[in-house]
Amino acid sequence: MKERYYINGVGIVSPQRTFDNAEFLNEITHYNENVLHCVLPEFKEYINPIQLRRLSRMLRVGLSAAVICLRDSKEIAPHGIITGTGYGFLHETAKFLEEIYQYNEKQLTPTYFMQSTYNALAGLVALTLKCKGYNNTHVNKGFAFETSLHDAMMHLTPDASQTFLVGAFDETDKAQFNIHSQIGYYKAEPIDSLKLFEYKTTGTLQGEGAAFFSISGTPGENVLCELADLKMIFCPEDSHSLAMDVNEFLSANNITTDQVDVLVSGLSGDVKNDEKLKVVIETEFNHSIDVRFKHLSGEYCTASSFGCWVGASILKKQYIPDVLRFNNTIATNPKTVLIINQYMGRNYSLILLKNK
Amino acid sequence: MQTVEELIPQLKELIIKQLNLEGVTPESFDADMPLFGEGLGLDSIDAIELIVLLDRNYGIKLADPKEGKKVFQSVRTMAEFIQQNVKK
Amino acid sequence: MSRRVFVTGYGIITSIGTGAEKNYESLINRHCGYGAIELLDTVHQTDIPACEIKLHDHELCKLADVPDGSGYTRTALLGVIALREAMAMANLSTNEIKQAGLLSATTTGGIRELEKYYYQLQDSSQQGNFRVFSDSANPGEHTERMAELFGIKGYIGTISTACSSSANTIMMGADLIKNGVLNTAICGGTEALSKFTINGFNTLMILDKEQCRPFDKSRTGLNLGEGAAYLVLESEESILASGKKPIAEVKGYGNTNDAFHQTASSPDGGGAYQAMLHALVMGGVTSSQIDYVNAHGTATENNDLSEGLAMQKLFDAKVPHFSSTKPYTGHTLAAAGAIEAVFCMLAMQHDIIYPSINFKYQMDELTISPQQELIKNIKLNYILSNSFGFGGNASSLLFSSVTK
Repeated sequence: MKERYYINGVGIVSPQRTFDNAEFLNEITHYNENVLHCVLPEFKEYINPIQLRRLSRMLRVGLSAAVICLRDSKEIAPHGIITGTGYGFLHETAKFLEEIYQYNEKQLTPTYFMQSTYNALAGLVALTLKCKGYNNTHVNKGFAFETSLHDAMMHLTPDASQTFLVGAFDETDKAQFNIHSQIGYYKAEPIDSLKLFEYKTTGTLQGEGAAFFSISGTPGENVLCELADLKMIFCPEDSHSLAMDVNEFLSANNITTDQVDVLVSGLSGDVKNDEKLKVVIETEFNHSIDVRFKHLSGEYCTASSFGCWVGASILKKQYIPDVLRFNNTIATNPKTVLIINQYMGRNYSLILLKNK
Repeated sequence: MQTVEELIPQLKELIIKQLNLEGVTPESFDADMPLFGEGLGLDSIDAIELIVLLDRNYGIKLADPKEGKKVFQSVRTMAEFIQQNVKK
Repeated sequence: MSRRVFVTGYGIITSIGTGAEKNYESLINRHCGYGAIELLDTVHQTDIPACEIKLHDHELCKLADVPDGSGYTRTALLGVIALREAMAMANLSTNEIKQAGLLSATTTGGIRELEKYYYQLQDSSQQGNFRVFSDSANPGEHTERMAELFGIKGYIGTISTACSSSANTIMMGADLIKNGVLNTAICGGTEALSKFTINGFNTLMILDKEQCRPFDKSRTGLNLGEGAAYLVLESEESILASGKKPIAEVKGYGNTNDAFHQTASSPDGGGAYQAMLHALVMGGVTSSQIDYVNAHGTATENNDLSEGLAMQKLFDAKVPHFSSTKPYTGHTLAAAGAIEAVFCMLAMQHDIIYPSINFKYQMDELTISPQQELIKNIKLNYILSNSFGFGGNASSLLFSSVTK
């Protein structure tokens, strides 16, 4: 894409205290049950009480993130709203299903059903902001966040002055945790989340979060960084083919691997799923600062949004908290961040961020 | 069968629970306060929730949501309706 | 970029037939898929009618040519069947398929299988073939499965915006082509009936216990349906290179949000109006040029009022022929946009306008009524197809005929 795009604001609620943009991982929470739950803000500060009481937990989390983002970007009226999610509102889906069983399909209530729809958050944000513009929700697993960004970028191409709000969310859920545990998604034994990368075993941790980004073709007052480019790669054959894709991507952006100051990787702690990405990091990016984030966020379809927040924050604040670093490389003023995420060893994505 | 006065506090608790009215106590709204629009500010989805509340707790079925408009005007009108229609 | 986008193929399966030909025959002969639910295990078999495809999953596996018990949800099976027909009609080469994008839409995904095995899947002491459905809660799962089956690698997307979902896949496919990301985009949606959906809509009290009556004064709600449809979109360059004859052009589209209520459309039809207007503006077409509107027409009190008023506003005094095909197929939710887009293709190719079945009395609030009789030998140059969903999502597609 030859046009330029900027991240002008961000709002994120995650298993770390991330909802305050004045901080950057000052306070770290670690988890011992292989499930990471959001550290919640005071919802009343972002959502009016009449609206608040009708909202499910994840809708509260998502709407708060959207409001935090809008305040951060000092934007009041985006032209479009796009969200991405992997599994949507699992709690409400579970509750409605359980009611179906409990009441044998009789005397059921509409709220759980309505709030289980994947586009409920995009609809809610539009309703709250009275935004009548473009509205879409992507649910393509580990690409949901990236496709949402891409969708926004395509819409911003004809008019760089517009702003799109792009969000991504997923939530932890006991039933899904149980189901996915049976097929080896998560660590067999409980571990300390901060030690995720010390284990050479399969399985990862279940995480959750909601992140919103204000994207525009014009840099805003509070611009974090430039969103230079992105790419999605489905099931690369091997690490060699992944490395080729990465190099091609960088080359199309006139960058070489040694110009990448910070490599934010979506290694998940699952030794099998991490294999290809690990090889690429070691062979192509051994001079970049090795930043990882899933020991803080857990793994979920849209976890790359946490990674994107990490990358954008590094560029904005020109600082990398120690908890993110996994090598000793130093960069005094990082200018280029590459995020390479993988979800379950199938969905690989590249997001290139540059200093404004 | 309970009287309307006896039903009122019970109904208030049920409404608060069914509609997840966080921060609302039975004392904070009065039996004659409008439930929809002004007053408690309920909407059309809440109306359906109240229909289910009547069915689950009192065995009363309201097939037509439009009938609900009159019935759900206030807690008192709900209590009166229940008193007249409850099936043992 | 003003790259033109054309439709070169389509595929469809609904309760009125497997394949385009069967669907067309049903449409012109007023054969509806409406009836009692038989295959889905639900207590509502006796009180909620729907438009169910009378094929068991193992029969769908045969039609889809995939092994039974290998984890294809019913949603995915319907998708595979429609996708296969679309790709064959478009005569895509192996290389074109590899570089194509697949954009599918669903609201249910594999919920039908999840609800069936919900407790067993969570229980480590239970083993069985049901474990192939361990990831069916994910709506994007079916698209990845279909892409892998056919070797589609250019782009894999899944959209879920309730009833406007597959209309949005068509828009995104067109955008990807216009932005030079793809030359070929296969777009559509798929939806299987489930207890989750039937009960969900039942709680909202918007189901009709009889056959639905779109735009009728006495309408009381919708009938649910199941089905799948995909359209193959190609760039102008791609068509010129292959020499194939396109079926229609994707001339314009509009995606807006009503921002009125979580499930209801605004009573004045604001969102619907804006979506249709955007489609016209993008296509550089005036309202007087529209020959037919395939309405969303779900027969809910709310939608038909909203959409009817929007059409009256957009077309002023001259609303063109319009009809809803939902009495035939039921409301197929995410698949509706694509299924109805295929119906628009068939209409254009056969010079016909479908009747809006089951209509008797004009609505008091409107000055218009849907087309009640089949019209033959009518040249359709411009067709609008509407899809409006929960969450305020309003989408409208503008198709134009191709003269050469």
